[in-house]
Amino acid sequence: MSARGGVKTVLRRLTDASVAERILISFAALVMATLIGAAIVLVSGRVATCQTAATTLFGVGFCYDPVDVYLVLFNGALGQPFLLDSPGLFNPNWNPLNFGLAFTLKETTLLIFTGLSVAVAFRAGLFNIGTQGQLVLGGLATALFAVFIAPFLPAGIIGGIILIPLAVLVGALVGGLYGAIPGALKAYSDANEVITTIMLNFIAAGIAKVLVSEFFRNPDSQVIETAPIPDWGTLLPVAFPKGSDFSILALVFGLALVVAVWYLLERTSFGYDLRTSGEQPEAAEYGGVDAKRTTVTSMFLSGALGGIGGAIWVLMVIGNWLTDVPSLGFDGITVSILAGNNPFGVIPAALLFGTLKSGSLAVQFQTGVPKQLVGVLRGLIILFVAMPEFFRMIGTSITPKRDREAVATDGGEHLSGGDDE
Amino acid sequence: MSTSTIDQLRDAELSYRTTLVGGAVGAFLLIALLGLLFPSSIWASLLGIITSRSTLSSALRLSVPITFAALGGIFAEKSGVINIGLEGLLIISAFTAVITTAVIGPGTVIFTVPVVGVSLTAIWIGFFAGILVSVLFSAIFAVVCIRYKADQIIAGLAVWLIALGLAPFVSTVYYGGVNTENLGTSLGTWAIPVLSEIPFFGALFSAGPAVYMMLVAVPASWFILNRTAFGRHIRASGENPKALDTVGVDVSRVRYAGALLSGFLSGIGGSALSLGLGQFIGTNQTMVNGKGFIAIVAYLFGNYNPLGAFGASFLFAGLDAVQIRLQQVQGYTLPDSLIQTIPYITVIVILAFVGRTYIPSAAGEHYDSGEDNR
Repeated sequence: MSARGGVKTVLRRLTDASVAERILISFAALVMATLIGAAIVLVSGRVATCQTAATTLFGVGFCYDPVDVYLVLFNGALGQPFLLDSPGLFNPNWNPLNFGLAFTLKETTLLIFTGLSVAVAFRAGLFNIGTQGQLVLGGLATALFAVFIAPFLPAGIIGGIILIPLAVLVGALVGGLYGAIPGALKAYSDANEVITTIMLNFIAAGIAKVLVSEFFRNPDSQVIETAPIPDWGTLLPVAFPKGSDFSILALVFGLALVVAVWYLLERTSFGYDLRTSGEQPEAAEYGGVDAKRTTVTSMFLSGALGGIGGAIWVLMVIGNWLTDVPSLGFDGITVSILAGNNPFGVIPAALLFGTLKSGSLAVQFQTGVPKQLVGVLRGLIILFVAMPEFFRMIGTSITPKRDREAVATDGGEHLSGGDDE
Repeated sequence: MSTSTIDQLRDAELSYRTTLVGGAVGAFLLIALLGLLFPSSIWASLLGIITSRSTLSSALRLSVPITFAALGGIFAEKSGVINIGLEGLLIISAFTAVITTAVIGPGTVIFTVPVVGVSLTAIWIGFFAGILVSVLFSAIFAVVCIRYKADQIIAGLAVWLIALGLAPFVSTVYYGGVNTENLGTSLGTWAIPVLSEIPFFGALFSAGPAVYMMLVAVPASWFILNRTAFGRHIRASGENPKALDTVGVDVSRVRYAGALLSGFLSGIGGSALSLGLGQFIGTNQTMVNGKGFIAIVAYLFGNYNPLGAFGASFLFAGLDAVQIRLQQVQGYTLPDSLIQTIPYITVIVILAFVGRTYIPSAAGEHYDSGEDNR
């Protein structure tokens, strides 16, 4: 069996595992990552210099208090509902429609799209590391299309109703076509999609930068960016404060897509083909599934979801396209892995990373711990999710002996590494 | 996979590599011809750049991190462990090397060998610290993959993401920003007398210490992999672990060795990268900026042969070096980000024609000797 076969085995193992076990593993991974994150905060608190120690353990002063860091993170992501100095006390001035919560939901919304993108490919047995590139080009197409079409439309709400769906569609189409490239390479020349999608990320960034700086550059700007889309053509904040870059409409759209993707995967014949070619490629072929076409279509779909992520980033957050696109596509990999590639799982996973990202700003501001801590946590969570065996071993060693049989049967498959047994 | 398929793959590999080498030589001859015929055209400038000593010297310098990471990747993957965390290993070693040197004090002399007068300075301690931390990270990766049977691709991604977060995090704790301060010193160049005077090829003998290390490490890796018992074990572990197990060699130990070697070699590459400049830059994708991923491509290109991997790394680095110099040519401004995509596009095109690269058949798979289970 090839490396791809190895990935397949793991995929099969992940999808076979019961939902309850998935949730348990994700939760355990979260706890482990939080604990190691706390240790990192403590250690870096020894390196940092401060006037007064934030906490003292065993007679040694530390500049950062990990418990405080996590409290601030959570509190900040919700927009300070608690007064941390007097624990448990509710902040009477707290308004649920605040900037902190808007930031959290904005990140959550974007991550739902990229998380779904990665999950769809994963379910088809394809590792799409290229969501970032699909997002970059999809977003660029959306921005260029919106700027181009805006003069032909009536300004105001009617123009917006026409422009926004079309622009999102253009983003989805371009992202989808860019995603179909590694799909086609995979299907027709057996090129490893892990490698091609990584390469295509770099190519997308390069192409986008050249296109904008050489042909579509906003002449009034110092940085490399396109001309702005008129305000009426963007997703403006509803209910949440102006300038918060979060529109509930986008979140609702994201949630609707979750349901749509779930329906497509679980309730349609295409979804069935997609899942079987991901889980049991030989059986799928035998059952008459056109594996090549399924590969290309799945990657198109995955890329289209990434492209929509880019479109929403452009229409909701930035209002035009500029280089330095945030790493939403890579975060999508994290979200999907944590979600066990389940469309519904993407919602809590995206919310978790949205919270981490948003709260990290409060952490940096209030405790001085750099916001990059979240990047470390992200990596640690992935690392622990990747090794369910670790938790199974812990589980086996702490459960009483008579219960072990059960553990061994639902977790003890894959005894041998070879495909020859 | 049957023998005939392998043969077919090998034939395809050979033919595409012949095409590639032929193409490169042909392109060079074309540029040379055009450059000589039209002395005031861009071709002449291009010819001047390609044949200049400084281009060779920067191509060698730029290929150091890619080559070392690629050599590491070969050892890991040949042993059956796919390490796509090479990028992370480069990041973490590049950062550790600089911060260690800075903490000791860049100018500090640890000790001087009497008589010879050679002294060990802080920058070399930093160099080794970078390697050490990279090995540590690869050890964690190895345990996660081998002992706990994690999916290697996901664990590799985790290594990359952790390093991508950790280096700027610690830098911000220590310096207040994602970039470290400049050490004010770097590894410098070691010029060999007389030989360094040779036109063009003199660049080979007036280079940084890491370039010399690379020129030693490439043939040494080839020799270890193809001519020693250890190399044979590594290759068997990736191709047919069961056979290796049958003759009584512990497959896990061989795989640990392969994964740790990838950390060791990437560590040299990362340390050399940042110490060559005297600073770690942590903005965006950090100063490593995809070199670890290019390294993966380089060894796939070189078909897991250290010499081939070096050839591919040097080709990519050479394109980059020419591109940098081309920016300085008056009147011919090509967008640099366009040229920077050339290596990636080349890879895509080649993969489109060749398709599956020949990966060790057991790479990515877990192996159990069966002793734990029965």
